[in-house]
Amino acid sequence: MIGNARFDFIHFMHYTALPENQKEFPSLWVDFPNKYFDPVRGHELYQRYLSQLVLADKLGFDAVVVNEHHNTAYSMMPAPNLIAATLIPQVKNAKICVWGTPPNLEHPNRLAEEYAMLDVLSQGRLEVAFPLGTGMEYWSNSVNPATARERHRESIEIILQAWTQDGPTSYYGDFYTYRYLNPWPRPVQKPHPPCYIVGTGSPETIDLASKLGFGYASVFVTKQRARELNEELRRGAEQHGHHIRPDQLPLQVITYVAETEQKAREEAVEHIQYFFEDALRTTPTFLAPPGYLSVDQLKKRAALADKLHGVFSFENIEQAFFVAVGTADQVVEKLELWAEQMGTNHFVMFAAIGNMPNWKVVKNLSLIAQDVIPRVRATTPVHHRAAAE
Amino acid sequence: MANPFPAEFKREVHTINGVKTVVLTAGRGEPLVFLHGAGIWHGINFTKPWTEKYRVIVPFHPGFGESADDPSISEMHDYVMHYLDLFDALGIERMRLVGFSLGGCMAAKFAVEHGHRVERLVLVGPAGLRDKAHPGPDLFMLPPDKIPAMLVSNFDVIKPYLPEKPDLDFMGERYREGGMLARLLWEHPWDKKLPRYLHRLTMPTLLVWGEEDRLIPVQQSEIWRRYIPKADIQIFKGAGHLVLDEKREAVDAVQRFLS
Repeated sequence: MIGNARFDFIHFMHYTALPENQKEFPSLWVDFPNKYFDPVRGHELYQRYLSQLVLADKLGFDAVVVNEHHNTAYSMMPAPNLIAATLIPQVKNAKICVWGTPPNLEHPNRLAEEYAMLDVLSQGRLEVAFPLGTGMEYWSNSVNPATARERHRESIEIILQAWTQDGPTSYYGDFYTYRYLNPWPRPVQKPHPPCYIVGTGSPETIDLASKLGFGYASVFVTKQRARELNEELRRGAEQHGHHIRPDQLPLQVITYVAETEQKAREEAVEHIQYFFEDALRTTPTFLAPPGYLSVDQLKKRAALADKLHGVFSFENIEQAFFVAVGTADQVVEKLELWAEQMGTNHFVMFAAIGNMPNWKVVKNLSLIAQDVIPRVRATTPVHHRAAAE
Repeated sequence: MANPFPAEFKREVHTINGVKTVVLTAGRGEPLVFLHGAGIWHGINFTKPWTEKYRVIVPFHPGFGESADDPSISEMHDYVMHYLDLFDALGIERMRLVGFSLGGCMAAKFAVEHGHRVERLVLVGPAGLRDKAHPGPDLFMLPPDKIPAMLVSNFDVIKPYLPEKPDLDFMGERYREGGMLARLLWEHPWDKKLPRYLHRLTMPTLLVWGEEDRLIPVQQSEIWRRYIPKADIQIFKGAGHLVLDEKREAVDAVQRFLS
């Protein structure tokens, strides 16, 4: 199953130069005052983060991944296409993944244009995801959360039409009208760059990915739930005549490799704690603006949040999510197990974690590249070997 | 928890444009229609005195309370059309119309278009107009658990209708109603065209407000009066947005005006 294993490096570009009183703010999203953004520190962080992404390419990672969030210290990438454009001349081999702009927060023709530009500039190395966007994005943009899903579906339809049909075409929808849909340039990759949906496991989102035959990556769901979602997607896609390949099921893993397990924990845990306690901190209201979730989903998530509520515990996080912190041997073992369980060969390494200093990120990426990637790539699972013989 | 809906009200279920619509009715006499606000959890016990003289009809708006969702409703005017159909189904030609908050906006819009069917109109703390000088909070920006206390002057009045501890079902119901409200009001929390048409409210019209209304400030009654030349205003001290729940005098004043 792991044949052709693929390793991506994902970056969230947190703004980490937070004020000392940051814990007093219930949310670092939506309404966290932007006076706390210092452009000088921002510049330093951009330089550092870009260099880490470029390093991943040099070390042999298969792809670099960026994404979009608004009004938040969680992310300095409200416009990830700008980051992607900055990366293209520096990232020579790796794919550039923009996972991505919620297409309903943009004019869909404009997003089709921008992604086509990136695909042409990178000579066909672009991959995109069409997230619905977190609840927080709807408090920060002028788009109605109650009709977000309908608008999301329609905007994806427009982008695919723009990419796959010779223009000019027309589109008359509930939210968008295009008399001349005829964007220049068009993407290099045919019929279009590989597409994914990224989500937190709403049935409506799985259903959409199934219909479109897109890849699906779940984020912030438990291991058990992620496994179910992959299963649901494979089954759902099958019903729509699509066969989902393992590489279409990216698995995001919080990864840190060091010389010993103890050292790995000592070096990584405080930053994982920062990620969950600080970077991700927001309110239930911001997470679920009105109409954004079905009532059923709201109740399920509220019940789960009650259960997870409490002080940070690395053991709980490690148990709930895909967390591989340890020696290279331990990390390889976990990745191979999860690949088998999840039916994937595509790992998205979350390796620049929280407020990790540069040296740790560089060390982590280097050890992953040197001691983890080649070994996982070399693995040929038993049942495949048997079939080959 | 107290029963928000008095036992003497009869529950009728109608299907309007394919959507289950629940209507509560009690009393005999000429029809008095009450259009509720965006949250109906506090119920309609205050309407009981009206049933002594009128056939009181309280429909749940689609998307609220016991009526089903209608995803095709996307703007306030869709409710005007819904009520045309419902009133036809109920055989109501002319009525006394009382609208509270969101229902006040609906009532005003219905009466603007179908004034000949409205004998007398009462708007209680109506939503719908933009008052730049006295804007009131954006309902969507209020934490849901803080909203009930903001609705009243005396919290004891509504306390019996609220769950004692956090309740997932109650939270889910409020979230459902909030989603419907977002469909109507997320982009534009008020109706910018309404001032242009309010002069058509030529029937006797009463504006009722709680002096301590923290959701839709009492000062907004003045702009309603500016646009509705013949409207009377009655303001009740010691009451918040839920003035009918809090002040029996307000309920009686409505009844006197309607008679």
